[in-house]
Amino acid sequence: MASPPHIAFVSPRFSEGPTVGGAETLLRKLAERLVSKGWQVDFLTTCARNHFTWDNEIEPGEKVIEGITVRHFPVDGGRDLTAFFDVQSRISRSVKITRDEELIWHRNNVNSQALYAYLRTEGHRYDKIIMGPYLFALVYFASQIHPERTLLLPCLHDECFSTLKTIREMFLSVSGWLFNAEPERDLAIKLYGLDPSRSDVVGMGIEAFTANPDRFRQRHGLTAPYVIYSGRREPMKGTPLLLDYLDIFRERTGKDIKLVLTGSGPYDPPTRLAPHILDLGFVTEQEKHDAMAGAAAFCHPSTNESFSIVILESWLAGTPVLVHAAGEVMPFHCRKSNGGLWFRNYPEFEEQLSLLLDYPELRTAMGVAGQRYVQDEYAWKTVETRLMKALLK
Amino acid sequence: MSTGPFEIGATGVDVERINADIRETVAAKMKAGAYVGAQLARAERFNLMNLKKDENFFDFYMESLREAVYVDINDFEIRERRAMFAPLLVRLKKTIWSLLKFYTYRLWSQQNQVNGLLLSATEEVDRKYRDQIKSLEARLAKLESKLPPG
Repeated sequence: MASPPHIAFVSPRFSEGPTVGGAETLLRKLAERLVSKGWQVDFLTTCARNHFTWDNEIEPGEKVIEGITVRHFPVDGGRDLTAFFDVQSRISRSVKITRDEELIWHRNNVNSQALYAYLRTEGHRYDKIIMGPYLFALVYFASQIHPERTLLLPCLHDECFSTLKTIREMFLSVSGWLFNAEPERDLAIKLYGLDPSRSDVVGMGIEAFTANPDRFRQRHGLTAPYVIYSGRREPMKGTPLLLDYLDIFRERTGKDIKLVLTGSGPYDPPTRLAPHILDLGFVTEQEKHDAMAGAAAFCHPSTNESFSIVILESWLAGTPVLVHAAGEVMPFHCRKSNGGLWFRNYPEFEEQLSLLLDYPELRTAMGVAGQRYVQDEYAWKTVETRLMKALLK
Repeated sequence: MSTGPFEIGATGVDVERINADIRETVAAKMKAGAYVGAQLARAERFNLMNLKKDENFFDFYMESLREAVYVDINDFEIRERRAMFAPLLVRLKKTIWSLLKFYTYRLWSQQNQVNGLLLSATEEVDRKYRDQIKSLEARLAKLESKLPPG
């Protein structure tokens, strides 16, 4: 009998505990599913937990987690942060920079010579090497070692970094791409002229769950309707926009609506809104699902999402979503599912939220539509089929 | 089944249609002046990057900004909600205001000057770019008209 395929995942961090973002969670979940199918899976990553400091906090070496052989390699020291931030700030301001300057940026980003050395000597043992997200130097340099067996799982956004020459070269050099949603693939094709036949849309499966909204409301003494947001709280995620919109919504409409937040990150709410925010910080998955199920809507004001696990979870909890229209992926999910609305500005947000508050039957119908969409498109069985098809090409 | 300003049919709802209806409603309400004012300018302060792609809304935002730009530094009617000692409290508040006014008037008027200058600069930049785009479009049309057919 032929031995099962041997797959490596490469990512700057391995998702363990609450501090790791969506892309890392996605990679780990996909790795776990392959293990469950009897595939051999290695996860090559660094010893870092913090994506700002990149300090080596984990012991280098190998351990087996949920059947995945996780190999931690130390992050290189001696980063020139001045040079890194100098180039990064110019990229962020869309100032044209040379390829050499891009390389300065990559060299002073997160790197691990130990990981590269391992890939150089052992990389040929893997049938496929899946790497992501695209933005980190570790992925950029690692992808050059065995490009013929590398699949990029980029988690691509329409942002200044995606237009760099070196990033374009990386996309064009690897053997294929795994995208989270169709708009992400369309963006990559538009930016880099990729061959669509070498790309696959896989995404991430969402585990089925049951939720109890009453239990959540009772535990927190919530009687008024509320909007929920789960995830990192930061300007890139649109948190300040959500706080302002909700504050003005309360002021203009006179409706007593609360805001429930789960996740991490500092934020500075308008004074009048502060008493109406229930900030739960990190919560258990069950608590998060209960909170989602009881909400009038899940609001995701980010314009930079390549997938958005939380809106899919919200739909699975039976709650409709309100998303920013400027992103590509979330409005796409809303259109496809009939489970959400998308706003461009405050007046549209006000009309949409008022509609959901005033018509519970609409809220229910949209929640049901979203739930059906997630069950059809993002059940693990469906995602596994897409993933294995892509890997066995 | 009709349930209000939307339809829930056998296949559920049509969010594309709901969104289109909402946009129509918003456009009508904007025309009627339902959203003009400082509140809207404040609401969109973190949304400007996204609004730049939406020319009509940007015009509307500028209008709201014009309404919001100047801080009202004039005198206002001083009242007291509590009935007991109301005349005394009003007199006390008036005294405090007259003292504060002396200190804050200069500060607020300078702030108004800065706000006004920033608004003028923004309008000027906006006008300049619009003129530039218009003249480039005219030039392009002229050059295209000189091209041989086909």
